Amino acid sequence: MVPITSAHIAGNYSVMRDEGIEWLENFASELTAEGLKVAVFTTKNPEMFDFEEADELRVPEVYREKQMRIDTALRSIGVVLAYTCHHYLAGNLPRYGDHIAWASSGSQTYANSVIGARSNREADHVVLAAAVAGVIPEYGLHLTENRKAEVLVDVSNIDLSKLNDADVKAMGWVIGKKIGTRIPAIVGLPPDLDIERIKGLLYSITVSGAVGLIHMVGITPEAPTVEAVFQGHPPLESVEITEQEVIGAYGEISSASDEKVDLVIFGCPHCTIQEIEKIATLLEGKKVHPETQLWICTSQWCKTLAKRMRLDEKIKAAGGRIVADVGAASGPYAFLKEQGIRTLALNSVRACYYSSGLFGMKTWLGSTEQCIEAAIKGKWEGTRG
Amino acid sequence: MRFQAKTISKGVAKGNALVTHMPISFTGGVDPYTGIVVEKGHELEGQSVAGKILVFPSGKGSTTGTWQFYVLYKRGNAPLGMINNEAEGIVAASGIITGIPMVHRLEGVNPCDVIRSGDVVTVNGDEGYVEIER
Repeated sequence: MVPITSAHIAGNYSVMRDEGIEWLENFASELTAEGLKVAVFTTKNPEMFDFEEADELRVPEVYREKQMRIDTALRSIGVVLAYTCHHYLAGNLPRYGDHIAWASSGSQTYANSVIGARSNREADHVVLAAAVAGVIPEYGLHLTENRKAEVLVDVSNIDLSKLNDADVKAMGWVIGKKIGTRIPAIVGLPPDLDIERIKGLLYSITVSGAVGLIHMVGITPEAPTVEAVFQGHPPLESVEITEQEVIGAYGEISSASDEKVDLVIFGCPHCTIQEIEKIATLLEGKKVHPETQLWICTSQWCKTLAKRMRLDEKIKAAGGRIVADVGAASGPYAFLKEQGIRTLALNSVRACYYSSGLFGMKTWLGSTEQCIEAAIKGKWEGTRG
Repeated sequence: MRFQAKTISKGVAKGNALVTHMPISFTGGVDPYTGIVVEKGHELEGQSVAGKILVFPSGKGSTTGTWQFYVLYKRGNAPLGMINNEAEGIVAASGIITGIPMVHRLEGVNPCDVIRSGDVVTVNGDEGYVEIER
């Protein structure tokens, strides 16, 4: 066992369902009966809605009750209800080399690959146990020898400056399919790749693949060079990613055929303040179609900043809204489906996959600009590019 | 045929195999209310995992898969047993919290290659082996 400094849990009602709430309540009541709670700082991924917005979003009473039960159980054992998947930008920031127990396949990979903290791909049930015990079994990515790269992934044939934000995520989907459970070393990424694109890549690779660590050579602290990251071993395989494969991925990721778009939803992973500003600027002087909604999902922290920067006014004037505590992958669809929402436009591979698989949503994947275009016209006209 | 394997979750299960060479995500990939694989383009799309010995290379995708697997189990749609080529933490935890027998790392072979859908397969998580009858 190795002591951990931080924990993070991922599940929300859309995946827990009633069976999961009962499991969580039993777990929490057994702990509190013994006077126990989490021993390390533990935060929580997004939920279904923010209680302060529940009336405005017309959240049915039944879902308020369910979220209330989840809130109560987690609060009783000391889990901080951050309700964001960029918790590392909002208070739960481990240090290089720290051992941590994080669920949320995207965030956990961010911790390993950008911060250099050490976490396995953990299930919530394991994270909760680790958070209470304050330790985690020292296996997998906690051990240096298991952090070596196994597959060399070359993206240098792709002109990344010509890819839009959705293309980068589609590229992530392609990479994830090729690597499976093997740790990749990606070469050909510019060292000044911005945080949004890094997140886009990591949060997409981990949908089609199952790795907790993605070495981006020149970006990941443990990956200064290809030689260093393979720890003296030859790659098991070398693959090149082509632009054709990236374009081809759109057909696998998008599931919609109906042009009419009910909801344009950003924020999987949660929008940073920079992304909110970009969307607000793109919306300036425009009006969202009356039969289409536009949501920007983010943390409470970024929502507060957006208000302070008057971005919320611009977004509201165009007919969109900033929604806190909710992720675009799954959280709100339980009640949005009941409101007749069927076809989504998204700039997120991850949200396409989970909204479609969990709730049967029909999805269009496109760049932020194409999604905004869809919000204004009320229909999808986008093709890639 | 019998192969030694490494135990993930104890217990013994015997049933018909359902085999795929593609990894599975229990969040978004399988409907827990029916047991049917819903991932577009998946080899098992449209087939039910309920009551089967599910043989697949590994898990993938969301770490919330354990929650969805628990729902699948509570609704009576879970597989009887699971065999992975190389298990990862999410499916492993799913097997353990539901008590469904599960093994991985078969000695010298990839289970997705040696087992065919329909084979009668025993997963023995107590002694750590897989037995195939056809």
